[in-house]
Amino acid sequence: MPVTNEGFEPLIVAFCCNWCSYAGADLAGVSRMSYSSNVRIIRVPCSSRVNPSFIIRAFQRGADGVLVAGCHPGDCHYHSGNFFTRRRLTVLKQMMEYLGIEPERFQVRWISGSEGAKFAMVMNSVAEEIKRLGPNRKLRDVR
Amino acid sequence: MQQKVEGYPLKEYTTKIRQIAKEALENREVTAIIGWRKKDFWWQSPVVFLEDPADVQQLVWDPFTIYSPVKFLLDWQESCAAKVGIFVKGCDSRGINRLLQDKRLERERVAVYGVPCGGKADAEKIRASFPSKEIKSVTLIGEELVLAVGEREERVKAEAYLLDKCLSCRHPNPVVYDKLVWEEVSPRQYADESRFARVQAVESLVTEERFAYWQRQFDRCIRCFACRNTCPACNCRVCIFDQAEPRWLGKANDPADTLNYHIIRAFHVAGRCFECGECERICPAGVPLQELNRKLIKGINDAYGDYEAGLDPTDVPPLGTYRGEDPAGFDES
Amino acid sequence: MKRIGVFICWCGSNIAATVDIDRVIAAAQKMSGVVYTDQNKYTCSEIGQAMIKDAIKEYRLDRVVIGSCSPRMHENTFRKTVESAGLNPYYLEIANIREQCSWVHKDKEAGTAKAISLIRTAVAKAAMNEALFAAEMPVTRRALVIGGGIAGIQAALDIADTGFEVDLVEREPSIGGRMAQLDKTFPTLDCSACILTPKMVDVAQHEKIKLITYAEVDKVEGYLGNFTVTIRSKARSVDLQKCIGCGECIAKCPSKVASEFEEGLVSRRAIYTPFPQAVPNKPAIDRAHCRFFTAGKCKVCQKVCPADAIDYEMADRLLTNQYGAIVVATGFDTHKLNNYGEYAYGKHPDVLTSLEFERLLNASGPTGGKILRPSDGKEPKTVAFIQCVGSRDKAKGNPYCAKICCMYTAKHAILLSEKVPGSKAFVFYIDVRTAGKDYEEFYTRAYEECGASYIKGNVSKVFPDGDKLLVRSVDVLSGALVELSVDMVVLAASVDARADAKELAQKLAVTVNAHKFFTEAHPKLRPVDTQTAGIFLAGMCQGPKDIPETVAQASAAAVKVAAIFSKQSLLGNPTVAEVEPKLCSGDLSCMAVCPYGAISEQVVEERRGREMVPRKIAQVNAALCQGCGACTVACRPGAINLKGFTNQQILAEVDAICL
Repeated sequence: MPVTNEGFEPLIVAFCCNWCSYAGADLAGVSRMSYSSNVRIIRVPCSSRVNPSFIIRAFQRGADGVLVAGCHPGDCHYHSGNFFTRRRLTVLKQMMEYLGIEPERFQVRWISGSEGAKFAMVMNSVAEEIKRLGPNRKLRDVR
Repeated sequence: MQQKVEGYPLKEYTTKIRQIAKEALENREVTAIIGWRKKDFWWQSPVVFLEDPADVQQLVWDPFTIYSPVKFLLDWQESCAAKVGIFVKGCDSRGINRLLQDKRLERERVAVYGVPCGGKADAEKIRASFPSKEIKSVTLIGEELVLAVGEREERVKAEAYLLDKCLSCRHPNPVVYDKLVWEEVSPRQYADESRFARVQAVESLVTEERFAYWQRQFDRCIRCFACRNTCPACNCRVCIFDQAEPRWLGKANDPADTLNYHIIRAFHVAGRCFECGECERICPAGVPLQELNRKLIKGINDAYGDYEAGLDPTDVPPLGTYRGEDPAGFDES
Repeated sequence: MKRIGVFICWCGSNIAATVDIDRVIAAAQKMSGVVYTDQNKYTCSEIGQAMIKDAIKEYRLDRVVIGSCSPRMHENTFRKTVESAGLNPYYLEIANIREQCSWVHKDKEAGTAKAISLIRTAVAKAAMNEALFAAEMPVTRRALVIGGGIAGIQAALDIADTGFEVDLVEREPSIGGRMAQLDKTFPTLDCSACILTPKMVDVAQHEKIKLITYAEVDKVEGYLGNFTVTIRSKARSVDLQKCIGCGECIAKCPSKVASEFEEGLVSRRAIYTPFPQAVPNKPAIDRAHCRFFTAGKCKVCQKVCPADAIDYEMADRLLTNQYGAIVVATGFDTHKLNNYGEYAYGKHPDVLTSLEFERLLNASGPTGGKILRPSDGKEPKTVAFIQCVGSRDKAKGNPYCAKICCMYTAKHAILLSEKVPGSKAFVFYIDVRTAGKDYEEFYTRAYEECGASYIKGNVSKVFPDGDKLLVRSVDVLSGALVELSVDMVVLAASVDARADAKELAQKLAVTVNAHKFFTEAHPKLRPVDTQTAGIFLAGMCQGPKDIPETVAQASAAAVKVAAIFSKQSLLGNPTVAEVEPKLCSGDLSCMAVCPYGAISEQVVEERRGREMVPRKIAQVNAALCQGCGACTVACRPGAINLKGFTNQQILAEVDAICL
């Protein structure tokens, strides 16, 4: 039975690394680009700081979508952080999809500090996708 | 591939094990032995700890010496300064390497007696075909299981009664040992084919079917943590799931928190799990944990190259390294 | 019990226009741990900062949360504010309700709700903030300047003049860069070599500067104050100690290669000095084109060398040195004109780039300073100058303006009129940009005094017409079609970043933008810093600019370097990783992922029964740790935690943000 998503405003938690994606988010702001206000950003020094436990916790506490954004591989401020992020979150993403979580709910993107437009575009498209999927019920804590 | 061992003279193997244990204890090479003994029922061959050479008569080798004794080494090391001798099957031996690689075991403090293994029997499968109360003994001889049921002897094809995890065993011979107790056996014939069969079955389902499937499985989970307790890859001094500050995992049996537990545990053992299958075997609720752990192994193999944990304690696990050209499981544009 | 103060900034109307400040304040007052709230129009101003300081003292606040612009903007400012009121600067937390809220969400309802959420998250994190202290790090008081053009030369001289040692690394056999290729410079028409070569000689003779030419940076490790750089000193095949610079080897070398310095207009030898005023004025052998190295023959240079300076056995040397700071001054390349076939470049010898034309103008160039057509050696009486070739072109070139072309074309028009009496210059332009001191006057001179014709219109095609070239365009001011028959066409080719800029950026852990120009820390206020502490930028490598801007930037970078070196020691990064021994199993998964080698094994003693027993666990060197946190995820039980971004804090942030 299709659940109607009229009036559903998703909550999307985005973990952004200070040097690239968080800076890209700031640039989107400086350029006055518009994107969905459903996105809330948590700042981390590097995408390699993002523990899968944080991601699952976000879903448990009510996030409908989670995004991890880091520097493009090779451009990490700490040299190798995002290479580990890439392996770790590839494994996590495969696992979540295998368990039957919709692939759009958890996404990983590379966004540099000069890609303000890309940041806004990604946030908007993620918000769109999550809105269509509806609220996250599968991983949400019983309240 | 036929097993090289012609027949499977149980008594000889048990004798051999007892002999090795006795010598080691008498010569004071070790101060204790970890092996298996027979308990009251035909399906029980639990782990035993012996210090007196006279007690080695308790040691046995039969189709039910299943329990991995490896995790006990952790407690042993903490409580005792001396050297311990341990009998390990093929699967168990990879656990030794796992502990060595994680620096949770000092190699000099353990004498490893490697026992090549033709497979262990599944008591549930046997009970389904034979009246349990009448079974007196079960012996594995070559490819056959010989049961003494009441007064008669029953001979059946072993393969139908072996543990699922043994059917896909790729390393029946110990990969690390100080002494090999007897000749190596051939690997199981269809091990490679069956390894990812169940994973592929789940992969063939669509998203909603997958979730429904796993929901049914995890609904039975009672968070007893037996899987974590038995797993040699779960060897942290203070497990993340036991911590109260921060509370990574809640106490309530909330379905989302149960998923949280399994997802994170699978992630923590990703690239370190050596497929001993003990987690699934020991689960009292029948949660198919190998289907989850093997999915991660398959994913890592596909993306980053074939890797088997627990073979070489000096290598680097896949999540502890990277290559610049690594593929990603997400859009990198 | 925490005493958290929450301060919401209006930022004029930047935040207040799309976030209801009063409602945010009201919500903050109800948040756990918050004992004081206030709002201010410009919190970063002196009044705003004083308000915070006063509140800290009066209300005994022990944590401060500011809802304002991005922490990347004012975190340091407010940390100092808080510190001056007696609190450890790391008790501050900033909620980004401007760049990531008020500026990107038009709906006030949504913006306010999000701002409240972000404040709640910052309050949850702040409640767990602890006092952090930076470790002191030693500084190696030696700078590395990468690139020996005017930018690198100026930076090296200024750093050396403050009394600190500098190594200047240049990949060509001589320093000098692009400026050495120029004839005269705008707007003064100074002879480029005359103003450049004294500086080149100063560099060579300065006791604090070590010149390392024909070398490149291979590897960079470390961080501010302590960079370890491996430099590949390429084999010149000429022993610089023995060589007397007589040039006999060059004269006798049989191999000819297109001269890079002459923009391919003439050839050089395989053994060569790039130009007559080279520093060092000693040759190098281009092994890729030398007959001995490619075919095992010749060796004429060795035979004729009176000083026995030729050494074919010479090998590349790797030099590993310590530096406290690095200045990147690697310059630019001219845009390749493959996509501009309509201008007949490469098809007709009399269609030149402006840099090629510059070489014709130069007295030590291929034509001895005469402007001659490459086709027949005659002087061109009419020259068309086409502007913006590859610039301001979103379709097939660079979208940006290359900045220098309008001015150097005016220069070329003026010099043409001087060198070829009776000649006429036609400049096809989109706009003429003369935003510099005396620039407008210089351009006026070109068309008022030197007879240059400026035609506003894009050239559509250039094609050969007998022994002339036909230029077809339109004059948009009059609307008329223009067709001119000229003797020579000069294309103002755009400015590109170096092709390997990104590779160097990755070595240095700095970033480049989409066009491969190095990214500055802030486009307005920090044009010479990069995001990586201790690495600075100077010159074209950061973006198109002219010589005065380049020199200014180089001097600015030098001051930044001197500022670092003038300190007794540097404060490291206080948000470092730390191991909780009780939780650590000693498996060292953390060590495997640390990019800085900051983690090692240590032995701790623990009580076991009645004994003290040794156990190996991990240990972090706070001076080396840069605070990425990769280790914290490699550690399964979370035994290693990151100060300032602890597991507890991030989990609390997640909990708060999802409310």
